[in-house]
Amino acid sequence: MLKAKNRLGIVFFPAFDWAISPTHPEREERLLYTQDQLREEGIFDITGITEQKPDVALPDDVSRVHFCIPDVSAVTTESHLISAGGAIKAARLLMEGSVDKAFALVRPPGHHAMKVVHGNRGFCNINIEAIMIEYIREHYGQKRIAIVDTDCHHGDGTQDIYWHDPNTLFISLHQDGRTLYPGSGFLEENGGPNALNRTINIPLPPETCDEGFIYIIDNVVLPMLSDFKPDLIINSAGQDNHYSDPITNMKFTAQGYALLNQKLNPHIAVLEGGYSIQGALPYVNCGIALAMAGLDFGALREPDYDAARLRQASPITEYIKKFGQKALAQYFAPSPKQHEPGTFVTREKNIFYDTDMIREHQVESVIVCNDCAGTIVIETTSSINALSLGVEIPLGACNHCVEEGMRLLDKARRSGKYRYLKLINRRDKVYQP
Amino acid sequence: MRIGLDVGGTHTDAVLIGDKGIIATAKVVTDHELLLNSVLSALKEVIRGADQKSIEAVTLSTTLTTNALLEGKADRVGVIVSSGPGIDPHHFRIGDAYFVIDGSIDHRGIEKKALDNKQLDHAVRACREKSIRAYAVATKFSTRNSTHELLMEAGIGGEADVITAGHRLSGGLNFPRRITTAYFNSAISRQFNDFALAIKNGIEKLGLNAPVNVLKADGGTMPLASSRIAPVQSILSGPAASIMGIAALCFITRDALILDIGGTSTDIAIFAKGLPLLEQEGISLRGNPTLVRSLKTMSLAVGGDSTLRVFEGHLSVGPDRSGPSLAAGGTRPALIDALNATGEAAFGDTDASRRGIADLAQTAGTTPNILSNDAIGIAVKAITDAVGHMIHEINERPVYTIHDFLHSERIAPSQLYIVGGPAQAFADRLSKSFGIKTIVPRLHAVANAIGAAITRTTADLELFADTERQVLLVPRLSVQKSITTTYSLEHARRDAEGYLRSSLGDSVVSAQDTEIQIIEASSFNMIDGSRMMGRNIRVRSQTKPGHITSYLAGVRSSC
Repeated sequence: MLKAKNRLGIVFFPAFDWAISPTHPEREERLLYTQDQLREEGIFDITGITEQKPDVALPDDVSRVHFCIPDVSAVTTESHLISAGGAIKAARLLMEGSVDKAFALVRPPGHHAMKVVHGNRGFCNINIEAIMIEYIREHYGQKRIAIVDTDCHHGDGTQDIYWHDPNTLFISLHQDGRTLYPGSGFLEENGGPNALNRTINIPLPPETCDEGFIYIIDNVVLPMLSDFKPDLIINSAGQDNHYSDPITNMKFTAQGYALLNQKLNPHIAVLEGGYSIQGALPYVNCGIALAMAGLDFGALREPDYDAARLRQASPITEYIKKFGQKALAQYFAPSPKQHEPGTFVTREKNIFYDTDMIREHQVESVIVCNDCAGTIVIETTSSINALSLGVEIPLGACNHCVEEGMRLLDKARRSGKYRYLKLINRRDKVYQP
Repeated sequence: MRIGLDVGGTHTDAVLIGDKGIIATAKVVTDHELLLNSVLSALKEVIRGADQKSIEAVTLSTTLTTNALLEGKADRVGVIVSSGPGIDPHHFRIGDAYFVIDGSIDHRGIEKKALDNKQLDHAVRACREKSIRAYAVATKFSTRNSTHELLMEAGIGGEADVITAGHRLSGGLNFPRRITTAYFNSAISRQFNDFALAIKNGIEKLGLNAPVNVLKADGGTMPLASSRIAPVQSILSGPAASIMGIAALCFITRDALILDIGGTSTDIAIFAKGLPLLEQEGISLRGNPTLVRSLKTMSLAVGGDSTLRVFEGHLSVGPDRSGPSLAAGGTRPALIDALNATGEAAFGDTDASRRGIADLAQTAGTTPNILSNDAIGIAVKAITDAVGHMIHEINERPVYTIHDFLHSERIAPSQLYIVGGPAQAFADRLSKSFGIKTIVPRLHAVANAIGAAITRTTADLELFADTERQVLLVPRLSVQKSITTTYSLEHARRDAEGYLRSSLGDSVVSAQDTEIQIIEASSFNMIDGSRMMGRNIRVRSQTKPGHITSYLAGVRSSC
């Protein structure tokens, strides 16, 4: 009998009765063949590996993270709350010590969902990792957390949510935004004034193979992690870098994903994208599960695996090496102080929700602060919602940032110009949904 | 009339039941050397004076094959497997003649790599050199495409006494379990068949012409002919025999809990709305999970003979038994002695119990009363916790649709049945601990045989259809045929019912008792890009375990 080195809880929820639309990639049978493979391999009979049922996320769990316009129930369905609840369950199992590692194999995904939510973009409504992470911080105290997003698409939602958080290191490996949705995720996007270099983007060229991904993990990601010293490592385990994925152009394999996971050694992995539901997901998910459990995955291959076809071209190898050095240099360079504490730094964003065809315009301001992550104020208007405003007072906020946040909210209320007003007060645990 | 025959390690019980109730019972000592003699003498006793022509069936419940496996007396088996990529199949090695050969079938049932005939020949030759005559073959995803297992069967050929192909035992997924189940099936085949044949001949010699059924671990029966092909379905049917016995005698209609407290262990079973719960996948034999459908039971190492010890001021109960209790002439105090000391039980030599408990209390620096209460309290808590854990597990069992997530029913037992030697002594405390109505049924001395006699035949099957590949499989029945692209979930439901009905054949007692349920039915559209390629259909059908209704009224006692 096989015995796992690490006790692994797999929260498996395939939502067999939910789809965005009948032929949409995010549809009922997305995890069907994965379930078949996991069952046939006997994964859940391995001593130390358990199958777990998700929790369901409560409205508070969502409004702790997001400004949902007009409210949580308008932008979520039960499927989203169960998917987020699956990630929460994974965290709970880990934090309560009943497992050493947890894998939330749930859908729908979440990493394109930003701080403000008007609808669905990139198949995502709410950010299930962020909801999980903030659940952890709310119930088990502030933690230094690293998120390594290995989905083929830039994790722009997670980046947006943690842009100003110095306690979260967000690293996204993805296909170069010049060649793929959502078109962002360049090296220059490296965090807000209070959290500079806490956002790291590693865009990789199309046709990157196992070699390139593993090079970046070994030479760029791991050094950053050992510098940041996170309490927890989270892997946003999108699987669309796979060579058989229908909507991307990479050449990553199940072996590669398993090896990446083994090297990264995350506490929690959360499924994100990945739409080669027959040719990739069954094998990649199996590989990730084995790697997390500390079991041998050497015999795991796709049935059509062909080493010769999946060898990386040398110009790509050269490019990745050079790029890796640049990313590393940027991360370790001393960050210049550019802004006076107490002032506001503002950025404007135009956001397109491709799934729901919504256009949003945002003005986001953050208080530059040496004592906390800084209060954030976001003005948002979209093609479906009138001008609204959200104020977020961060976890561990200093008195100044709390007072400033409450003052701005009050001022906004009195101005009468906002359709919806939202407050996330992490210090006092007050959430105005 | 029906006959139930329970061949246990110590006693062989027999019962003859008519529609008005029990007509005759017999209990004889099991003679392991001359097993048939014990069976025949018990049978003779119950059929004496009965009209043999009106005996409808004989149901046999036995733990002998299980014991053969547990005692390592099973036959040597040549195991040939093929897996393709995945977890290294060498991890699933079982027996000393295990061969892995190349070949690969994927989750859709598509052949990705042909079976390596040379390696197959080599494996078969190696087995022949070892004079192996029993074989088990299993390939990954053989329940989606059985071709490679069939090729293996053909490759082994006629020289074998028995070849078990994994897909014929269960249509479920789980390659390691498929290997283990096929192995066990072949390992006990010869012994089971010898036994079954002897029983059949013996019954015929007595002039009985009734069909013989064998009790399975899922609380149902199978015809003797099926049991000879799949003897593994009879392993670990012991708990099923006792649960079906209790269920026959007591009228269980709600969520209920059954505790069978024995000398060394307490067996726990759970009923949902009057029906015993089944294991999700299958029973485990000595830590080896199989695909054998079984009732969900759990065994806890707490019983009347559990040894009491005091170590560094800490009292422990069990988990072992060191001989009989003081009350039964043993040398070390056991749980039943504590119950004797408090007066909750009056078993055997109660004075011996009291003296021993007093001695132990002295070592522990406490009073006999406190020590006894603590010991019983520990046992009651262990049982309560184990039940709580089991119910939690059932209620937290994973679901895969939003509908089931929001609407699945939770089990909440409202009735507790306690049986076994010390049942009465524990009743009050367990009743308080669980806070539900508690019944200690006065069971008939041959309760297990009664349960077996009137237990229904059960069967189950999985149907898998892929309209893009235009193929339909019912692995259990070795059906693999082509379908058209218009084959739908409705067709599949009808076929799953039809195949199951025809597989039940003559063993069907009445329509009412063989109601076929569709327990799972799903159809997924397979889409490539935005083009619909076909449907992936899965249906499971079964007949519920239970008793033959027309006999129930007669045997029901006042539980």
